[in-house]
Amino acid sequence: MVSFTKRAVAIVMVMAMIIPVLAACGGGAAQPQVIRETVVVVQTAEPVRETVVETVVVTEAVAPEPYTTPHPILSDIRVRRAIAYCTNRPELIASVYPYLTPEQQQELLMDTFLPKAHWAAAKENITVYPFDPEKGKQLLEEAGWTGEPIRSNANGEPLSLRFTTTNAQFRQTWSAVFIRQMQACGIQIIPTYAPASWWFGSSTGLRRRDFELGAFAWVGQADPGGQTLYACNQIPLPSNNWEGQNYMGWCNERASRAIIAANNTLDRAERIRQYAIVQEEFTKDMVSLPLFNRLEAYAATNRLKNFKPNPTEYYTANADEWELTEGDTLVLGFTQEPQTMWSLIESAAVQRVASQLLGVPATTSYDYDYQPVGLDGLSTIESGRATNVDVEVKEGDIVWNTDGEAVPLAPGVEITTADGETITYQGGTVKMKQLTVTDKWISGIKWEDGEPLKKADFELAYKINCDPDSGATSLTYCNSIKSIDFKSDTEYTVTFHPGVQWPTYFAGAGLGAYPSHQVLSDGRKLADVPAAEWQTLPEIIERPLSNGPYILKEWVKGQSMTFEANPNYYKGEVKVKKVIIKFIADTNQAVAQLLTGEVDVLGSETLGAGAEVQTVIEAGKEGKIQAFVVASPTWEHIDMNLFTK
Amino acid sequence: MAGYLARRFLQMLLVALVAAICSYGMLYLVPGGPIDQLLAEQQNTGQNRITEDDIRRVRERFELDIYLPFRFTRWLIGWPAGPLPGGIGADWQVGCSIPGQVRLRYPDGRVEVVEEGCEVPVTLADLEGRKVSRGIVFGDFGMSQVMLRGRPVTDLIMTRLPYTLYLMGASILLSILIAIPIGVYSAVRQYSRFDYVMTTVAFIGASLPSFVFGIFAILLFSVLAKNAGLPYLPPGDAVGVRDYTIPWIGTVQAGSFLDRFLRFLMPCGVLTFINIAGWSRFVRGSMLEVLSLDYVRTARAKGVAERVVILKHALRNSLIPFVTLLAGILVSLFSGALITETVFNWPGIGRLFIDALSRNDYNVVMALLIINIVLLLIGILIVDILYTVVDPRIRLT
Repeated sequence: MVSFTKRAVAIVMVMAMIIPVLAACGGGAAQPQVIRETVVVVQTAEPVRETVVETVVVTEAVAPEPYTTPHPILSDIRVRRAIAYCTNRPELIASVYPYLTPEQQQELLMDTFLPKAHWAAAKENITVYPFDPEKGKQLLEEAGWTGEPIRSNANGEPLSLRFTTTNAQFRQTWSAVFIRQMQACGIQIIPTYAPASWWFGSSTGLRRRDFELGAFAWVGQADPGGQTLYACNQIPLPSNNWEGQNYMGWCNERASRAIIAANNTLDRAERIRQYAIVQEEFTKDMVSLPLFNRLEAYAATNRLKNFKPNPTEYYTANADEWELTEGDTLVLGFTQEPQTMWSLIESAAVQRVASQLLGVPATTSYDYDYQPVGLDGLSTIESGRATNVDVEVKEGDIVWNTDGEAVPLAPGVEITTADGETITYQGGTVKMKQLTVTDKWISGIKWEDGEPLKKADFELAYKINCDPDSGATSLTYCNSIKSIDFKSDTEYTVTFHPGVQWPTYFAGAGLGAYPSHQVLSDGRKLADVPAAEWQTLPEIIERPLSNGPYILKEWVKGQSMTFEANPNYYKGEVKVKKVIIKFIADTNQAVAQLLTGEVDVLGSETLGAGAEVQTVIEAGKEGKIQAFVVASPTWEHIDMNLFTK
Repeated sequence: MAGYLARRFLQMLLVALVAAICSYGMLYLVPGGPIDQLLAEQQNTGQNRITEDDIRRVRERFELDIYLPFRFTRWLIGWPAGPLPGGIGADWQVGCSIPGQVRLRYPDGRVEVVEEGCEVPVTLADLEGRKVSRGIVFGDFGMSQVMLRGRPVTDLIMTRLPYTLYLMGASILLSILIAIPIGVYSAVRQYSRFDYVMTTVAFIGASLPSFVFGIFAILLFSVLAKNAGLPYLPPGDAVGVRDYTIPWIGTVQAGSFLDRFLRFLMPCGVLTFINIAGWSRFVRGSMLEVLSLDYVRTARAKGVAERVVILKHALRNSLIPFVTLLAGILVSLFSGALITETVFNWPGIGRLFIDALSRNDYNVVMALLIINIVLLLIGILIVDILYTVVDPRIRLT
């Protein structure tokens, strides 16, 4: 009986501990409700309730809502520029990457929102902000902020700003230096190192614009995009349910028009011109201070030749060119294991690195640009493979609206016309652009069993990838396709809905290929299996048929994957006969395995950016391994919120 | 005894249920999750834009569109899986597929959009045809949602279990075999040089975290040893993927017994060392207490040989508190060592648990948690019964 009583007491105590916690959670969730009620009471009238059917367009006229009052300090361009001049970015870089040479550090520096090596990066007309504290102090004096050690204005208010970022060690390190630099100019910075789950949460931190100065990173891509980041109509506000990523609240008419234009044309020369305008205004207004590209490090054994790390392409993209000076097995280390080998349902980097070994991609994307591989030349308008013509649309036609959805044209639908203007359709006929792309594949590509790639394979990929039951994460691209005409074993033409203007249309408009001839272990043909079953088919998710340089031989979950050279590879059998991918959860362990020769290659997704990178770079200097340092497409910056709650 | 056992089983069921409710609830209360992960990738719009429909499909896959209590009962007993017999309750709402949005237009012209209510509810009828497990009560842990995507959690656990069992089994056995004699010897020779040395070692072992030991061991026995041209141990894994050469030993074939043995040495050594450090102190303490009791003195006075005094009279009694410590063994045998397995890349259950947590594979996490809970309860019961074996004076009624 004694034990029973004690147990009962213990349970009561556990419950007593848990109940307050649960109560606290419940209280937290209820909070917004309370605030809303208060607002209504103050107004002494019930707000009109209506169900949302369309996006609310916010205009200047709707005045007293949060984030429409200009920030007392940051709305002054002189202060923003002063912050930029007072920031010694090389010193920030040196604080996080002390082991790089000054030249390597210089390469990471960013002046605009595009890395220096990007095709759309502006070289002229941009305002640069070299470290010049005197100029910064002078600007602050002009703006009326005087005194020491912390400046204040005529009303005696201190020049003090909240600075929010994540609690990652990396960010804390450089922001400590940043805070000191600001102090030297008389600007007080009050840092908040928040958990990433709050800072990047779906209804907290950044998405609610809850910051004054906020630091985070964007990832650069071959297509610069940027419309949701810099256009005037992308400012998150309560009235548009916080849609958009223009967290600064930056609305520069010229830049906004240019970023929309840049994203609505397929002519590269024109895009470069428009992006140059955006970058010019972006750097002039100084609403977001670009700091530096992060570092990516790769390591490979000295025995491996032709290893080609690149910021915008996976390192396995040229696996068919790899050579070993000794032995015939190469071991790659991954910290994370792919969930599946089916690229449609997983987008993790490790999945892409592994699946590159099993297929021939339409194009590669080295150096922020595209190069044809499986395609017999890029399908550009200039080469005559694609057309982008004006078509007349009328009510009832399926068009691509400005929200990126295929909808029947009806009054009230917002569309982009052939002239690039955004209008709300009223009636009658309107001209829109229609994009048609013909992909021409090289011939000679075969599956690992020797069966050549054919029309039915491309057809099957379109059928499965665009089926909502397949488990695909996003169907946006599929929905933008009006029709595909499969012409031959190497050629098909994709016609998009009027209004669809994918900037990377030329890099392969199809959806890949699946081996339609494959017979499954249960006797069915792959082509006959319904899409819903594909995500559990071992022949798709674990042991897919390859047409790339390697064949997946074995996958021991949690441990390793073994690949062997594909004898039917269209370029001939590759030189490195066996590639093994090993899963090593801990980076320290991975580096230890590299140094003891258990692993031959570690990519950036495995090495990360911690102290291990330094170990690898030092081992590289000693000649034990090959170490590569690449400016990552991920870049750190400080956003300045122009408005205050 | 039978009555006692029956009562204990009833209590265990209750405790297991409360623990399951708590851990299930807390797991889903944690911020983040698959939707946040999905939205975090939504940086650039364009071809991979995530639409409301995409979010709805992901929510359905993780059953996040079903309210927590119903999600829990589906996981526990596989119910509700559709309307009640006779089609009753087909339109009862058990979840929400798309939350409703309400636009509040204030009298001063201010507009705000808030989420409120439910636009598209999930009813019992909607659950019909969705995959559901038979419920863990009936031994079905459900499907892995991420790591094996739609295949049984049991498959995943079974591939990892052997590695954990033999690593933990060996290290626990070794620890007991070594810790008890050390503890006894330290107690008998209190304040001797041996006792001082063991005390120091035990303090080091008990105060440093296991990953520090792991990393030191890797550095010392793998990286530095290899650099110095000495025989070295492979830094991690349970099995090698290709042959390697170790000075003095020669070529070791991947997958051979020698290969597995060499890889097993370091993690097992670290775990054993840490266990010994704690347990030997424990045995020493309780042994010292017993040695100072009257009956030990009586035994000695009667002229019983010192060996017999210590092993028969003192040791058996001093082991009672130690046996309590062993209640957790059953759990650690199964759940493995979270940190040590990660540091040494040992493909066991501990690493699986960490993987599953970081990848939001809720069913895998819950399966491991619930197995741990049940094993711990069984462990406690076994210990209670063991008391009667070690100390016949204790009776369970």
